[in-house]
Amino acid sequence: MGEFRDRWTAVGLEHQVEPGSSNPAIVDGHPLAIWRGENGQPNIWHDRCPHRGMRLSFGFVRGDTLRCIYHGWGYESGGQCVSIPAHPELTPPKTICAKVYPATTRYGILWTNLADEPSSPLPDLGPEEGWHPLRSLYVNCPAETTADRLRGADCGVPDAKAGNGGDGIATIETGSGLTLLIAIQAVGADKAGLHVVARGEDARASGQRLELARKMQRLRCALEAQ
Amino acid sequence: MAIKLHDYGLSGSCYKVRLLLDFLELDYEVEKIDFYPGRQHKSLDFLEINPLGQIPVLDDDGTRLRDAQAILCHIANKYDASGRWLPHDPARFGQVMMWLMFAGGELMAASAARLHDVMGYRLDIEAARRNAHAAFRILDDHLTEREIEGGQWIVGEEPTVADIACFPYTALAGDGGIGHEDYPALRNWMRAFRRLPRFQPMSGIAEFT
Ligand SMILES: N[C@@H](CCC(=O)N[C@@H](CS)C(=O)NCC(=O)O)C(=O)O
Ligand code: FES
Repeated sequence: MGEFRDRWTAVGLEHQVEPGSSNPAIVDGHPLAIWRGENGQPNIWHDRCPHRGMRLSFGFVRGDTLRCIYHGWGYESGGQCVSIPAHPELTPPKTICAKVYPATTRYGILWTNLADEPSSPLPDLGPEEGWHPLRSLYVNCPAETTADRLRGADCGVPDAKAGNGGDGIATIETGSGLTLLIAIQAVGADKAGLHVVARGEDARASGQRLELARKMQRLRCALEAQ
Repeated sequence: MAIKLHDYGLSGSCYKVRLLLDFLELDYEVEKIDFYPGRQHKSLDFLEINPLGQIPVLDDDGTRLRDAQAILCHIANKYDASGRWLPHDPARFGQVMMWLMFAGGELMAASAARLHDVMGYRLDIEAARRNAHAAFRILDDHLTEREIEGGQWIVGEEPTVADIACFPYTALAGDGGIGHEDYPALRNWMRAFRRLPRFQPMSGIAEFT
């Protein structure tokens, strides 16, 4: 039995993970490195170099290889170590491999599943198209409490109605046909990430999204004040 | 040489000044201060130079200045003919000032946490980390809004002294036990900053990422 439940969890917004970057994230206290090579493919790994345990989120991306910042060992998308700078003539043994988790995008959100054998379906809120990214933000509040509080929280959007989109997903709908999807990342005992995307006419222009992003800051204050 | 910087290699505040001097390709002389463990910045000789007992201090042709933010403004004002690093137009000047004050104010909580962890300073580390997170949240919110508008820098379409002043202690936060997990826009801004031409790394801040 693995440590983690079989469920998909949001870890960021797809557009904020730049090609050629490695980024840290935490899910249920478990550190992750999220990196994207020049080929655009996102990778989500345990944030631990198989060599001496350095955090791979501190590493740098060269082409489609992630290089550890400590001794420069290079890893390919599958997790396999492909180069050891101190021994350039050596083909690294197959056993040197980073711990790899699935990485999938839907609705502009990046998702992973830490279970040993993930089989649960991705969250489904209808068609993929039409969602605009708003922002990610983090609240000092546990994930379950955050989900509960979201129902009554003042986000400053007129006629907002909070709903439940399933495990770890909240929605906010307004009279004008705007839907906000809030994917909740359980970070640790007292922190949660909110990854927010929006659909509807009122989220089309960047000025409108800016306004909505500010409302999410207000929502964060409201969640933390309760 | 006209410009002399009283400098310590591991100081994030001195790094602010070195960054701008290098961006502008200015020649300067370095007077090394043995900050740790020597505490030379608290010596009688140094207190004559800066009664606050802090680095950086800049000597420039008879002008002596303390405070990294003031020094950045002085150098940009005097040596940057393009006016890019310290824009004077009303739409940007005030905002640049505002973020400079933030860099020398709220954001210095991240410096305090680092002084505690790296140099054994005695201070309330929990409060320092909490305040640093609060400051990073403010900056990440701002940079997120800039991203939505299609902007990459703290003020306007080009990097300014505000970006320089905010960069070091943001990038060095890990030394004080403060992670970047919660700040995606901050991370992307730091990467853009590192890619600037003539960017110079310092110990603890890699040249590329
Ligand atoms: N306001 C000054 C503060 C600079 C500062 O904190 N310098 C540190 C070294 S990085 C220092 O000299 N600390 C000694 C002290 O404050 O006693 C600035 O922004 O330049
Ligand atoms: S710890 Fe990663 S290469 Fe040595």
